[in-house]
Amino acid sequence: MDDVFPHIVWTFGGIGIEDTVLATWAIIVLVIGAVALVKRRWPAALESLIEFLSDSTSLVMGRPAEPFLPLLATLAIFVGAANSAGIFPGLRAPTRSINTTAALALVVFGSVHYYGIRARGLGAYLRGLADPVFLLPLEIIGQFSRTFAMALRLFGNVLSAEMIVAVIFSIVPLFVPLPLIGLSLLTGLLQAYILTILAAVYVGAAVGASDPIPNGRSS
Amino acid sequence: MDSKTLVTLTTIVCASIGVVLGSVIPCWMEGRAAEKALEGIARQPEAADRLRATLFIAMALIETGAIYALLVALVLIFANPLLTRFF
Repeated sequence: MDDVFPHIVWTFGGIGIEDTVLATWAIIVLVIGAVALVKRRWPAALESLIEFLSDSTSLVMGRPAEPFLPLLATLAIFVGAANSAGIFPGLRAPTRSINTTAALALVVFGSVHYYGIRARGLGAYLRGLADPVFLLPLEIIGQFSRTFAMALRLFGNVLSAEMIVAVIFSIVPLFVPLPLIGLSLLTGLLQAYILTILAAVYVGAAVGASDPIPNGRSS
Repeated sequence: MDSKTLVTLTTIVCASIGVVLGSVIPCWMEGRAAEKALEGIARQPEAADRLRATLFIAMALIETGAIYALLVALVLIFANPLLTRFF
């Protein structure tokens, strides 16, 4: 039960480094290794994964998502791998710490404003935020609250799943936790997909609404 | 009854009420969202992709409320900060 909450393994100048940071590095190495392995033997698998992510994000953004795929597909693959890291022996999901999920949410927050300013220019982007001027405070609060909600959604899902598995494991360790571990895998992948879709929606709204595509396909 | 027992008892009762409300209300609302989405798909099958994407987003946002309630209840029961801070 103590392993569910992240603990500090090293202090660096007064700041504690949690074990989730090491898990994140391990996941990065594992994902790159897995892609290098799969790339040679089943390249179609990687292509179909990227195509699925591209189609899903294009559908919600209403525009072709290719310029934003480096951000969105990385979020999807990393968060999906991170939430499922419990399968790998010795690793636990780094997203069970609010620090990791807050970092991901801040990345999305920064990217939203970066892409918006890059696409529309600083003045036009800020004017777009203050479209009905009396809604500007609500818009600003909304920006912070949806970033906070993104971090808390991922953190809450992963931590609750881990705690439930740990509690059931402490009561009946043999076979009974397995369906719950399966459920936590499912919710982990689903939350990775949801995070990517929401990031796509926010980036799409910042870049500017385009005409809705009639039959749901992009370009 | 000393104050530590009282705090524990109160947090257990409140966590239980929170989990019950936090499970039933979001589930009911998710069912309603799915119902409307299915009606829309049945009425216009060619819009099924857009409806499915919107349904997923809506379900995730509704689910967030349920997860907030569950998270607070779990932390209160298993890692209660009130017991360690005031005693």
